[in-house]
Amino acid sequence: MVDLSVEIAGIRMKNPVMVASGTFGFGLEYAQLFDLSRLGAIVTKALTVEPWPGNPPPRIWETPAGLLNAIGLQNPGVEVFADEILPELKKFDIPVIANIAGFTKEEFAELASRLTGTGVSGLEVNISCPNVKAGGMVFGTVPELAAEVVEAVVSSTSLPVIVKLTPNVTDIVAVAKAVVEAGAHALSLINTLLGMAIDIHRKKPVLANVTGGLSGPAIRPVAVRAVWQVSQAVDVPVVGMGGICTGSDALEFILAGATAVAVGSANFYDPLSSVKVVEEIENYCIEHGVESLHELVGAAWKN
Amino acid sequence: MSGFYSEVSSQIVEQVSVAPDCYLLTLKAPQVAAAANPGQFVMLRCSTGYDPFLRRPLSIHQVLREQGKIRFLYRVKGKGTAWLSERKPGERVSLLGPLGRGFVYSEKKKKGLLVGAGIGVAPLLFLAEELASLEWQLVTLIGARTASQVLRGDAFSRCGAVKVITEDGSAGERGLLLQLLERELRENDFDVIFGCGPLPVLKGIQEFSRRFGIPAQIALEERMACGVGACLGCVCQARDRTYLRVCREGPVFAADEVILDG
Ligand SMILES: Cc1cc2nc3c(=O)[nH]c(=O)nc-3n(C[C@H](O)[C@H](O)[C@H](O)COP(=O)(O)OP(=O)(O)OC[C@H]3O[C@@H](n4cnc5c(N)ncnc54)[C@H](O)[C@@H]3O)c2cc1C
Ligand SMILES: Cc1cc2nc3c(=O)[nH]c(=O)nc-3n(C[C@H](O)[C@H](O)[C@H](O)COP(=O)(O)O)c2cc1C
Ligand code: FES
Repeated sequence: MVDLSVEIAGIRMKNPVMVASGTFGFGLEYAQLFDLSRLGAIVTKALTVEPWPGNPPPRIWETPAGLLNAIGLQNPGVEVFADEILPELKKFDIPVIANIAGFTKEEFAELASRLTGTGVSGLEVNISCPNVKAGGMVFGTVPELAAEVVEAVVSSTSLPVIVKLTPNVTDIVAVAKAVVEAGAHALSLINTLLGMAIDIHRKKPVLANVTGGLSGPAIRPVAVRAVWQVSQAVDVPVVGMGGICTGSDALEFILAGATAVAVGSANFYDPLSSVKVVEEIENYCIEHGVESLHELVGAAWKN
Repeated sequence: MSGFYSEVSSQIVEQVSVAPDCYLLTLKAPQVAAAANPGQFVMLRCSTGYDPFLRRPLSIHQVLREQGKIRFLYRVKGKGTAWLSERKPGERVSLLGPLGRGFVYSEKKKKGLLVGAGIGVAPLLFLAEELASLEWQLVTLIGARTASQVLRGDAFSRCGAVKVITEDGSAGERGLLLQLLERELRENDFDVIFGCGPLPVLKGIQEFSRRFGIPAQIALEERMACGVGACLGCVCQARDRTYLRVCREGPVFAADEVILDG
């Protein structure tokens, strides 16, 4: 029996595989396809204080081995989530991590305090969404601003706080250190890479929002590099994501230093990919005589 | 209603070219055949690797229930549909479905007008066959650029009357589908209009539905990633300006429910 269980900032998971925010809805859409409790954790779509309409369409565009998206945080708001959606999700034996997105530091704090005591297992603080002009990206790209948001969140909740980093910076390690200093219990990375596409027939940007976030296998090497750098620079656990489709992809992140991983865009390619990743990691451990996953975390840089 | 869907590896039974760049694909998929309603679609993986990465939405064109088979009618647009058109009987494709909310109709015998432009007839044949079995009286209007793009006319004619119009007059009348639609609505009574086609045709249906006071249901298209309501990538605008997911609240909408842009 391989021990696949991990703990991220006090959130105990039976295996290291989560689903990435925004690619799995609130989980319920996939509940009829497989038993959600086979996953390590579910991370919800971003929640805002008020219901948020999101960006006009077109919102997605396929690219080589990936896609651009500019959803713009569409969600029913934290109240509807806490009152109507969370009770449904709690029926599954699985930790639920709420991804929160504020437009101000105060909104982040409000979201954190509203979700405390509702039964969510932790918060993922989205200071890295590239699709909302007024918000996220600004916080995530400046270490001081990122730290202020994290301080506001941590002081408003007793929940474990995972901070989600953007790769769209010159020095991701600087942001990582700043948010850990400010009290983050764990980090998740990476969010999408800022990109765009142009329709050569209409001679206009394809996405109504002009720019969008790139995800999928195309970004995996960027994400592996970010996890490699960040996990060596901080003492908190790292959740790795970016283009994970298979168990081997996930193992790359774990060896680079991730304690857990998240499957995102691959859910679109194969909605069962997250559970297949769990099985493939387990098989790898059996074949390689690994008794506990912890032996592998960061093994690529630990001597 | 979004009922039960599944992910299945499904065997190709037959693939025939029915017009330049247009194919009729028959798959063995008993679960999907049993669960599908007219207007629903599937997400088909159109690659063996990650290019194309996203599955392609295709409407369920016909269901052969007792044989456990489903059919698709599709036009080759780009690399996904080109890949699909090269698949041979015996090969397997991965599909997710049936998905979305299809056409809504009562079981009573009524008078229905079906309006399909080009490849837009795809979701309508399944509907026509279901309605015909419920003893509806049907008229199907098929519009296309030219004769070779008039698809499946014979199959529709087994379900009711068929009227064809082409832009170059090479089949049926010469003119535009919306002209034919307007005349049909002026001359005959219908309880409901069902339509599918490019945006200008859908807008025309919306407009005539309002003008003639006949409810219409239209099948929309939007770029999709997940197909099951999870990613919020495929939205259209509702009349109250909120966004609806084409894959979940649609792809079929009441014509007065949505705002059509462009
Ligand atoms: C619910 C639904 C049901 C559908 N049913 C059918 C069907 O039964 N038969 C059928 O032939 N097609 C159907 N389509 C359209 C079909 O999904 C696309 O033609 C297909 O995805 C194109 O993939 P591709 O890889 O061949 O082309 P791509 O390489 O993806 O695209 C080729 C070109 O087509 C354009 N294009 C492709 N898809 C769309 C779109 N959805 N909206 C606007 N432009 C687009 C692109 O801009 C590009 O220029 C349906 C779409 C939806 C959303
Ligand atoms: C359609 C879509 C919506 C997303 N929405 C969110 C979101 O609401 N909050 C967030 O933190 N990240 C969001 N992301 C980013 C993913 O969680 C993930 O960080 C990123 O896509 C990289 O992983 P992947 O390549 O496996 O998809 C979204 C990604 C996609 C593709
Ligand atoms: S395609 Fe993902 S929500 Fe419709």
